[in-house]
Amino acid sequence: MSHWLRSFLLILWWNVLSSRADLPIYFMVQTMLSVGVVTGLGFLLPTASPTEAMYLCTGSMTVSLITVGMVLAPQTVSYRRQSGFLDYQRSLPVPRTALMAADATVWTLLALPGFVLSMIVATLRFGLSYQVSPLVVPAVLLVVVSAVTIGYSIAYLVRPVLVNLITNAVIIVSLLFAPVNFPVERLPDWLAQVHRFLPFQYMAELIRQTVDVPPAGLSAAPFLVLAVWAIAGTAIACRVLSRRD
Amino acid sequence: MRANDGISFDVAPGEICGLLGHNGSGKTTLLNQVIGLVRPTSGEVIVAGHDAVADPHTARRLCSYQPQTHNPIDGITPRQAVRLMARLRGATRREARDRTEELLTALDILPWADRQGSTLSGGVKRLTGFAMTAIRPGRLVMLDEPTNDVDPVRRTLLWQLIRDLADAGCAVLLVTHNVIEAERAVDRLLILDRGAVVAHGTPAQLRGDDADRVRLELLAVDQATAARLAADNGGTVTGRRVMSTVDVGEVSNLIAWAQRQRDRRLIEEFSVAPVSLEDVYVRILGSTGHRPGEPVDDGRRS
Repeated sequence: MSHWLRSFLLILWWNVLSSRADLPIYFMVQTMLSVGVVTGLGFLLPTASPTEAMYLCTGSMTVSLITVGMVLAPQTVSYRRQSGFLDYQRSLPVPRTALMAADATVWTLLALPGFVLSMIVATLRFGLSYQVSPLVVPAVLLVVVSAVTIGYSIAYLVRPVLVNLITNAVIIVSLLFAPVNFPVERLPDWLAQVHRFLPFQYMAELIRQTVDVPPAGLSAAPFLVLAVWAIAGTAIACRVLSRRD
Repeated sequence: MRANDGISFDVAPGEICGLLGHNGSGKTTLLNQVIGLVRPTSGEVIVAGHDAVADPHTARRLCSYQPQTHNPIDGITPRQAVRLMARLRGATRREARDRTEELLTALDILPWADRQGSTLSGGVKRLTGFAMTAIRPGRLVMLDEPTNDVDPVRRTLLWQLIRDLADAGCAVLLVTHNVIEAERAVDRLLILDRGAVVAHGTPAQLRGDDADRVRLELLAVDQATAARLAADNGGTVTGRRVMSTVDVGEVSNLIAWAQRQRDRRLIEEFSVAPVSLEDVYVRILGSTGHRPGEPVDDGRRS
């Protein structure tokens, strides 16, 4: 077995063991959040049109992934940074990318139940039917990897005390001020322009078009933009993980 | 601010080198520089012939490190943690299992081997941290205050295992504040102050001239008497206690004199002991700040 794979599996095992007590709570909160977003937004828009309902449904699925990658992950990493856990793992003869990948795997597995549940709840709530593309699998992975690596970069670069503030802002922005649960046309021009340079819109587009393929077919743009985000996030996170003070 | 400045020394295989110094003197920074968590602004760190500054990954493979903070074992048991570390360092399952049992037995922490890390006492956590480091040691083993929180009996077991590591051919670099224990356990000592080496050598070399001197400690009946005794005979006063060092040839006269003072009810008790390394340490660094002593050159690079 290669050194990388062995390190990855052992660190993955360590992470699962060490957060075993917290994982059920993470799972419950994340699932409740995913389901809660769909039902809560349903209260806001009791008579949603099929298009609006599709936005709400796929939007809440996207929010469930963003919550794991850009809220739970950075908060946990920030705690590990303060407790010395991160530095201890950094002092081991383990490739940095294996450390990152082991963590990202845990978060991906944690994100999936909420993702699927929010889809089921939205279907029941709004009576939607989907044209799911097999590309939904790489799409979900791409969204989680970009969200986790951006989340990690936040956790490594920002002082721990600010991490909670930023992750709370991320949730509010992704729920209310980003074209995730509604079309971008509803935003003021300046905010729509800002979102051209942020990942939220592309995450939502990617999930929306792979969960319910539009008649015109899939667009490559969100795949490409998120791939750039994921690569940049991974590069920054690995760089910071390898950084020597 | 420079954390470390112009430090140069080497640790040979089979040798235990102790790092002493006040809080903030640069000991932990030095270890972090070796393991690649902190980059030195200049200079080189060579571990078993490899440049640790240029290639920190190889340095981490060649070094085992027990940090000053508790090892992160929340949620896992000592047995799981130690086995995991063995596997991460390349041991087979069987090797990891057997060696873990050996180490946990040698450290006498088997009763806690299957308890969750967060429920363990500080001492057991510290010993688990040591076992995680020693389970499959690198060429250089670095231990940052490994005896903190550990009870006296297990501390003895721990020192024996540290000596075993050296006997097995590891170079051991260890940070401690426990000068008395270090004196007995280490082969060589470096005293750091404000990031610089202010003294180094074997415990005997560091004692230097003090090796021929003894320490006299008197407990006076009151503080005024203590001050008068110190003024007449030399020494430092702490409350009712007077400490001074004298030549070993003076011991018999000294004891007779001290007995007379006791008969006159000026002192309650007295003791005569060899000058310890702690006395030397305090003399070199002072009790509150920097007072550089003469570095003792033992022929190595300094």
